[in-house]
Amino acid sequence: MSRVVKKSPSVCTDLPLDNTDICNKLSLLKQLLISCFGPAGRLKQIHNNIGGRVISTSTSSVLLSALSSSQPFINLIRTSVLNHVSRFNDCGLFTAILCLTLLEQAKQSGLRRNVSIIVNKHLLGLCTSYLQGQNCGCKVKLDFCSSQYFITLAFSVISSKPACVLTEPEALHISKLAVQAFLLTVPCNNTGVARLGKTLTVCVEGHPVLDSAVFPGLLVDMPDIFFLNAENLHGRSLCTVLFSASLAGDLCELGDGNIELHGDADTDSQILDQLLELGKQVVQDGVNLFVCQKVIHPVLQQYLRGQSVTVIERLGISLMESLSQLAGAQPVATLHTRIPPKAYGKVKELTIKQFGSKTMLHIHPSGESAICTMILCHRNDTMLSELKVVCQKTEHVLRLTLREPCALMGGGCTETHLAAYIRNKKTHCLGIFCCSQTEYLLGAEGFCRSLESVAAALDHKCGNSLTDLTHAHYWTLPADVVEDHMENSLGVCGCGLVESCPSKKWTYLNTKYPEFSPAPVSKGTHLQVRVLDSFTSKLSGLQVAVETANLALDVQYIIQDTN
Amino acid sequence: MMRPVEHLHLEHVLQTVGALEAVVLRSFGPHGGQVLFTRDTGQAMLSRSGTRILTALRLEHPLARMVVECVWRHNAKTGDGSKTFILLLASLLRMIHTAASKDPHVSLTHNSKEAAKAATARLLADKLLAFALDELDDLISVGVVPYGCVLSWKDFTAKTQSPVQKLLSSFFYTRLGQSNCDFISNLLCEMLTHWKFQHDPPSGSLQFINDNFPALHTPVLGFPISCSRLIEGQVIHRDFATPLTEPDGGSVKVVVFTGHLQPKLLNAGEVLELGCEALGEQENRGNGTSILHYSTFAEISLEYVFSNLQSLGVSVLLSAVKQSAAVLSLATQAEICVVECVSEDELSLFTHVMVKPCSLVICGSGEGQTEQYAAAFQEAIRMVLTTWEPLNTRPTTASKMVIHSHKSTSLHTGDTKPTYGFPCQNSVLEPGCVVPAGGTFEFLLNHALLQHISVCDNHESFPAASQLLANALLSVPRQIYSHSPRYFLQAQAMVLGSVQNHVHPFVMLDSGLESVSCKYHLVLAVLQCVTRLFQIDTMLHTHTRLNTQSRRLANISWEDTEDEAEN
Repeated sequence: MSRVVKKSPSVCTDLPLDNTDICNKLSLLKQLLISCFGPAGRLKQIHNNIGGRVISTSTSSVLLSALSSSQPFINLIRTSVLNHVSRFNDCGLFTAILCLTLLEQAKQSGLRRNVSIIVNKHLLGLCTSYLQGQNCGCKVKLDFCSSQYFITLAFSVISSKPACVLTEPEALHISKLAVQAFLLTVPCNNTGVARLGKTLTVCVEGHPVLDSAVFPGLLVDMPDIFFLNAENLHGRSLCTVLFSASLAGDLCELGDGNIELHGDADTDSQILDQLLELGKQVVQDGVNLFVCQKVIHPVLQQYLRGQSVTVIERLGISLMESLSQLAGAQPVATLHTRIPPKAYGKVKELTIKQFGSKTMLHIHPSGESAICTMILCHRNDTMLSELKVVCQKTEHVLRLTLREPCALMGGGCTETHLAAYIRNKKTHCLGIFCCSQTEYLLGAEGFCRSLESVAAALDHKCGNSLTDLTHAHYWTLPADVVEDHMENSLGVCGCGLVESCPSKKWTYLNTKYPEFSPAPVSKGTHLQVRVLDSFTSKLSGLQVAVETANLALDVQYIIQDTN
Repeated sequence: MMRPVEHLHLEHVLQTVGALEAVVLRSFGPHGGQVLFTRDTGQAMLSRSGTRILTALRLEHPLARMVVECVWRHNAKTGDGSKTFILLLASLLRMIHTAASKDPHVSLTHNSKEAAKAATARLLADKLLAFALDELDDLISVGVVPYGCVLSWKDFTAKTQSPVQKLLSSFFYTRLGQSNCDFISNLLCEMLTHWKFQHDPPSGSLQFINDNFPALHTPVLGFPISCSRLIEGQVIHRDFATPLTEPDGGSVKVVVFTGHLQPKLLNAGEVLELGCEALGEQENRGNGTSILHYSTFAEISLEYVFSNLQSLGVSVLLSAVKQSAAVLSLATQAEICVVECVSEDELSLFTHVMVKPCSLVICGSGEGQTEQYAAAFQEAIRMVLTTWEPLNTRPTTASKMVIHSHKSTSLHTGDTKPTYGFPCQNSVLEPGCVVPAGGTFEFLLNHALLQHISVCDNHESFPAASQLLANALLSVPRQIYSHSPRYFLQAQAMVLGSVQNHVHPFVMLDSGLESVSCKYHLVLAVLQCVTRLFQIDTMLHTHTRLNTQSRRLANISWEDTEDEAEN
């Protein structure tokens, strides 16, 4: 019997941002995330108390889902960032760090929270309209005629995940593969509604990263290679049939009732006869490749193989979808009715591919299919699983460019550029709020500093963070350099588009500098951009960060149901 | 076995309501904020709605629970005013307490001072309610309505800053905060504009949106709020179960199934007997002795269904349940796209709406946020419904108590501002009447009550009661301007000045709008709650299992409360 348990009253916390415990937790979380940020970020090992697998990562999605807190206020911020990451797959740490810094700045400024909220919201509007506008100085238009920018974009995502442990050539190789796979999944025939294809990933452990490759078509595990019919391999197109229903001879579709057998009635043989009948029809129709999502009765398998048909069983639902798209076949689930001719599909050829211990059957598409398979190799299991996640994220980031063919300059340059833009612009918008001018300027300063400190978080070598006074890009100066030789040791800016020269002027971040309108980099530069960030996900990350900070600022009271 | 009997003292009631007030105040007024709460499942919720906050507290005290239930019932009806409810209640109780302790009718029938106090309080409360039931509508129609204006349904179509949008915007300010209230009220206005022409009268379309809201909105997580928008058509919140075939253009024929398409031949408990006939006939398919006969029958009947659907030109099949693999495969072959497990709400909306629907996409960075926005939308719709609800008042007796003659109040007094609506006809509580937000209603009603006392001094009216109500009302604007008492006096002076000079308050206060009808219901509901509170004199604590009442109270915090309210 269940007991009736009295509900206990809720636990309440007043003004969470004035609570020392919560503030300590927030700043701890911020320090932790900052230390993971960027290509030089430090890894975190996560292991739980019941002896689960140890994960090394710096990825926000993994980190934040592991950092569940008993404090709902922290979870509010955490879930916001996680939701952003699950939608855009990028800029998670950027969003989290910006949000936490905005909270800290709002607290430091001593402004009323209503004022902070209004100012943040207004400045966010300035930022988004600038980023979306034509005159944005930190945006690059992507050109689909050249893969250069796409490789740079992919490279920026991949190299920002140090847990993959890739050397620069390896990261470049993977970036090129990611772009190749992305391009293969974009259909070329432009009639009607375009549907993006799919990249399937196969992981092979213990092989050098440079062995990774991308193939058009599908690669399917084929443990029993001996059954393969040699004449189906190589060079001829194969008629294909796909079954989505089980061909094991069960009767589950009849219902829940019982069947009583009298006399010699033998349902098993009746069903088997029926299956063989189906096999005969398929062979008559000239099928060479017979695929079933579920189990195939061994007798039917043997019969089909005897008729030199290649049989694949237990393919699983996810591969099934891709295969039906690749072959242009419609999955069949009826066993008694005649299979209509248009349900059959076609594949170009079958070949055997060997990757280490893995033997795989490569199903080549007969036309253009937008389905491809990526073989990922890495030295060990943990690095491989991180690499797999990173490749999927990269694919998504690349796909986002189809909707908005732009990218933002990476390496901290967008953040400092935006901060300079806001500093210059803010004076033009005085007197539109119900707060005083001083309050507004104080709030705006906090906003700009938050943006700049996200850029500064990229540096993990205790160097100095600078910004130049022409383009407002981000520069780092190693700690041991004397200020007189600055222009010699600065090299290029964070994104690699601006070069140091004697006429340039710099200022340290978080110091006062004269306001100026940051200039876009002239088209004539011989330098190639080295780091690009996804436009769509960074823009959304910026919005989510500010909105979440505003929401957190607005929370006055916490009620926790402890039942 | 009974636990000790607890006599209820006035102080207990005051303490309890005071505690509720302290919680609610955190999200009251322009400086109030959000309350974050976590369910017992660990899921986070955000709210500024008084009802939600109060129910989230999971209170144990029976009095507090009674108050919460009153608030909840009021909110279920009007969608608005739950925080003001508590504020006004607390203030009334305090005043009654003061009045009762100052002047208890010491009589021999009461054997203690406490009992005498309670009796006085009860008497006052009853008088208050009687007074309100008798006079409140008249007072409002004479003392408040002329300074407001009546919004017409046409105002929905106005693109920029229509008064309806202002009304909604002030509502969303109290529910969602300042930063997004304009954006969200625009969205709701657009949505109402889209739907209103399809139903007559307008309250019909509002009721329709309210009833079908779950099917009419789609929460999307991980996007900023500013991505929320309206989209034409209805969203079915399920993915296709079969590959999407390209439509040929033109209209798409859809068929809806609520059950399984493939017949289940054997239900649980039924028995199929095989093999009773002569042995030789087993081979012969089509004979009842073979199991295949039955499965073939099932498939062939399915094929018939699909050939029929194909000949009807159907290209999309919506199903309430999960269909068998055979159905999906035959549908693919017939080039029909299948969507499975569509919710009942969505199917009923789909089958009943003959016009072009339009639905709302609510984006937010977290679940707590989208839920809060969805709840605010529904409450806003209820608020608008209450605003335009024709009031069931008796023929007005306003003529008998002329307070002062009005110049015809015109909105065109300030020539700088384009105006909206038209001034209220005197002395009728018309549907759609609004006054400026920020305490105007309370100031005006306070003024009207005081006038009323001075006029009807010798009349057999209830001067003490109306004085008490007048004072209690002021606690609401006092709280609105709590950050600076100076503003309170300024605002009061402004409203009173405009009454004396017959200037329309609209000209001066540009702070948003509030519905008079909602306020009227609020005052009545609070007074009813007060009398209910004073009717109780003793609490009996008994040892029984949780009864249905308390279980319901525990549930209402999280379940869809609106449905229960109707029951």
